[in-house]
Amino acid sequence: MGTLEQRRRRAGYAALAPALLVLVLILAYPIVDSMLLSLQDLRAAGGTFEGRFIGFSNYGALLADRTFRAALWATAYFTAIEVVAVVLLALGVALLLVHPFGRFGIFRIVLLLPWAIAPVANAVLWKWILHANYGILNTLLTELGLIERNVIWLGTPGLALHTVLAVDIWKSVPFIAILLLAGLSKVPPVLYRAARLDGANAWQQFLHITLPQLRPTIAVAVILQTLWSLRIFDLIFVMTKGGPADGTVLLNFLAYRTTFNFLDLGYGAAIANVIFAVSLVLALGYIWLLRPGLQKAGG
Amino acid sequence: MFRRRIGRLAGRSVVVVGLAMFVLITVAPLAWLAISSLMEQQALTAKPPDFSSSSFTLANYTGVFAAAAQLGQGFANSFLVASFTTAIAIAVGAPAAYALARLSIPGANAILVMILGTQMLPGIVIAIPLFIVMSHLGLVDTRLALVIVYLSFNLPIVIWILRGFFLAIPPGIERAAAVDGATTAQIFRLIVLPISLSPLFATGVFAFIESWNEFFFALILTRQSARTAPLMISQFAGQYQTVFGQMMAAAALAIAPVVALAILFRNMIMKGFAEGMVKG
Amino acid sequence: MAEVELRAVTKSFGKVAVCKGVDLQVADGEFVTLLGPSGCGKTTTLNLIAGLEDASAGDILIGGRRVNDLTPFERDVAMVFQNYALYPHMTVAENIGFTLRLRGIAREAVRQRVAAVAESLELGPVLHRVPAQLSGGQQQRVALGRAIIREPQVFLFDEPFSNLDAGLRIKMRAEVKELHQRLGVTSIFVTHDQEEALSLSDRIAVMREGRVEQFGTPAEVYTRPVSKYVARFIGSPPLEFLSGRVESEGGLPVFRVGAAAFPLSLKTAERLVQGGQNCALGARPEHVLLGSSGIRATVRLAQPVGPATFVTLSWEGGELTARVPGMATFAAGSAVHFQVDREEHLMFFDDHQGRRMAME
Repeated sequence: MGTLEQRRRRAGYAALAPALLVLVLILAYPIVDSMLLSLQDLRAAGGTFEGRFIGFSNYGALLADRTFRAALWATAYFTAIEVVAVVLLALGVALLLVHPFGRFGIFRIVLLLPWAIAPVANAVLWKWILHANYGILNTLLTELGLIERNVIWLGTPGLALHTVLAVDIWKSVPFIAILLLAGLSKVPPVLYRAARLDGANAWQQFLHITLPQLRPTIAVAVILQTLWSLRIFDLIFVMTKGGPADGTVLLNFLAYRTTFNFLDLGYGAAIANVIFAVSLVLALGYIWLLRPGLQKAGG
Repeated sequence: MFRRRIGRLAGRSVVVVGLAMFVLITVAPLAWLAISSLMEQQALTAKPPDFSSSSFTLANYTGVFAAAAQLGQGFANSFLVASFTTAIAIAVGAPAAYALARLSIPGANAILVMILGTQMLPGIVIAIPLFIVMSHLGLVDTRLALVIVYLSFNLPIVIWILRGFFLAIPPGIERAAAVDGATTAQIFRLIVLPISLSPLFATGVFAFIESWNEFFFALILTRQSARTAPLMISQFAGQYQTVFGQMMAAAALAIAPVVALAILFRNMIMKGFAEGMVKG
Repeated sequence: MAEVELRAVTKSFGKVAVCKGVDLQVADGEFVTLLGPSGCGKTTTLNLIAGLEDASAGDILIGGRRVNDLTPFERDVAMVFQNYALYPHMTVAENIGFTLRLRGIAREAVRQRVAAVAESLELGPVLHRVPAQLSGGQQQRVALGRAIIREPQVFLFDEPFSNLDAGLRIKMRAEVKELHQRLGVTSIFVTHDQEEALSLSDRIAVMREGRVEQFGTPAEVYTRPVSKYVARFIGSPPLEFLSGRVESEGGLPVFRVGAAAFPLSLKTAERLVQGGQNCALGARPEHVLLGSSGIRATVRLAQPVGPATFVTLSWEGGELTARVPGMATFAAGSAVHFQVDREEHLMFFDDHQGRRMAME
C-alpha cells in the first residue's frame, strides 16, 4: 500500500535489516564486550573464563609494562616507515603504469599478484628466501660478492624488524599503487595538454597537476596503509613469532600473545583497545576525507 | 631541439628501467616459489642450488599431501568457508547496498559511515569476545564459526563496493520499471541484479579471496577439524621447517586458486575495489 | 483516456521548494507541454503526475480520481524517459512486453501484442536485438512502444529528445505528433525547447520558478505572452525589450525609445498611461518591416540563417531586430527605415513586474 516513494522506503528497510542485524551481532556486541573485558582480570583456566572487575587497572598496568612500551614504539616506528615507503614506492609504480609504456595488461597482472596471495603463503615464501643457510637471497648476495658471510635476516635483533618491514612493504605496495592508479586515471588529460602548451616539462606537470589532483587519493592511501600496518600479524606470526628477543613484537601480535598464549584475556583486551582507539581516530580521518562522496550519495 | 630529444630519451629509459625493476622485484620471489616447489631437497640445499634438469620433480606436490594428510581437508575447509561466506555476504549485502544507494533510507549516511568504520576495526578487538562467545556456544573449531566471523569483514566491504556500482545505474531504468508496474523487489530482481552480474561477480571474487587468505581468526577459532589452508600451511612450515620444496609446494597450492581468480577478474577488481575505496 | 488536473500542487526537497503551487487542467485527449528552463520545476511536476515522487501538498487528479496516494502503475500512466531508459539486458520484444509479463499475461498473448505494437512502430526486424544494437531513432521507438502497449490513460514524456542530434530530433517530433493524432491519448510532454513545444502542443504551460506562468495555445503564448518572461522564452532569436515612455508628438501619441517614435492609437496610449509611465516594448522580428518610410535606423549587423536574414537595427537609444525573407545582404552602417506592421504587434510590458500591458 501507499505511494511509490513510501513503498520504496519500506522495501529499503526490509532490504537493509538483515545486513544490519548481522553486523550488529558480530561487530557491535564484541566491541562493547571488548571494552568490558579490558576492565576485568579475566583468565582462561581449564576451558572456563573467570573474571572480576578491576576498573582501569589493566590500562594502568600497560603504562608500566616494558614489553608493551617497546611494542608501542616498535609499532609506531614500523608503521611510520612503512606508510612513507609504501606510498612513495606505490606512487612511483602508479606513475610508471600510466606511462604509455606501462599500459600493457601484463603489468596490471603483475600488480595484483602480491595483493592476491595469502599473507601466510607470502610469509612462508619469504622465510624460505631469507633462510640463513639455504636462502636464495644470501646465495645471490654471496655470488655477487656483496656479503662474505650469510646474513641471519630473521635472527638478528634490530635487523629482523627491518626484514619483516621490507617484506610487508613488498606485499603492500601493489594495492596502494592500484589505488593511486585509480586516482591518476581520474585526472582529466586535457590538463596535461594545457600544461604542455604552457611549456611545462614532465617534472612541472607532475608537481603542478598530478600531485594536487592526486592529493585526496594519497590522503586516503596514507590512512588505509596506516590502518593495515597497525594490524600486521600474519607475517610476524609465521616469520619470527615475535623474536628474536621480542624484537618484532608489535602491538597486534602482543595482544594476541597475551590473550591466547598467556591466556590473560582482560589484559589482552586492553592492548587490543589501544589499537582500536588509534584505528578509530584514523578511521574518522578516512571518513572525513570521503565526506563529499557520502553527501552526494545521500541526496 | 637536440637537448629535448636527449631529455625524452632519458625519460623513456627511466620508465623502461623502472618498469623492468618493478616486474623483477614483484615477480622474482613468486618465480622462486614456483621453481623451488619443483626442485628436490638436495638440489635446493646445494651451494649454489643445482639447477640441472635432473633436479626438477613433482614429488614435492605428492609428498606434501603424504606428509600432511589433512592438507586436503584444509583446502576443502577453506573452499567451503570462503564459498559460504561469499554467498551469504552477497545475498545479504546486495539488497542492503541497493537500499543504501537508491531507496532513500533516512539516516543512510550515518549507516554508511558505520559500515565503513567497521572496515577499520582491528580484528583483535572483536577476536577476544568472539572467541569467548564461540567457546560458550561450542562453536570453536567449526566452519560455521569462521563463516560468521568472516562475514564481519566481508559483508561491509561487499555492501560498500556494490553500493558504488548500484549508484552508477541510470535511475531512469528503475523508474521505467516502476511505471511498468514492477514492485521494488521485482525491480531489484528483474532489472538491477541482471544488469549488475559482472560487478556482483567481481565483488564475490574479492570476498572469496579475502576469506580464502584469512589467517588470524582461523588461528584463534580452529583447532583440528576446521583448520583452513593458510593455517595448515603455517603449521606445516613450522613442523617441517627444513623440507623446503614441500613447503613451497604447499604455499603454491594455497595461492594458486586466488591468483587465478585475481588474474581472471583483474579489471573488475581494480576498477570496482580501488575506485570504490577512494570514491566514497 | 482521461483528463489530468493539478490543484495547488507543491513539492519541496528539504527546504528547497521546487513546485510552489502548480495549477493545470489538461483536457481528455489533449497534448500539453510543460515548457521552461532547467530548474523551473517542469520535470518534478511530471514526476508528481507520474507518481514517481510524492507531492508535498495539493491534489492530483487523473480521470476525475484523486491519485496522490497511488503508484505510477495504479495511476495508469505510461512514461517515456530522457535517454529512453530502456532495459539494457532485455531484447526489444522483452522491453516492450515487460509490463505485460509483470501482469502475468500468457506468453503467447504477450508475443502477439508486442508484435502488433512493434509492427506499428516499424520495429519488427529488430525485435530480438538488445538496445545497445539499435540506432537512436529505434531506441526512441522502443521507448514509445513500451508506453503504447500499456494502452494507458495518459502518456508522459520527460525530455525524450534531449540527447538526439538536431535532424533526428525533428523526425522523432513528427513521429510523436502522428502517434498522438492516431491514438488520441492525453499526453503531457516536458521540454526546454520552445520550438518543440510550439510544434507539438495543443496547449503549452510555460513554467517559471515552480509555477505555471502562462497556459495557452501555441498561438496565444507566442503572440499574446502574459509577461516578459514568456515573451522572451518563446520565439527565436529571444525577444529584446526597449524601455521608453508615451509622449505626444505633433498632437499624436507616440511611444518614444531614444530617437525613435512608434506611433500609437489613442486607445493604446490611454491604457499605457493608466498603467504607469515606464513600459518596455517588444516586437517580434517578423513584424518589423524595412521600407522607404518609418523610423530611421542604421544596420548594425545582418545574420542570414537560410530562409531568412535577421537584421539588427540600431538608432540612438535603441535597437531592434527585423526578419527579412531569404538570404539578404546588408552593409553594416547603411541607413534604413522601418516600422512595425500593426499596432497589435507592439507588445508592451510593465518595466518592473514584467506583466503584459495594454492588452485587449
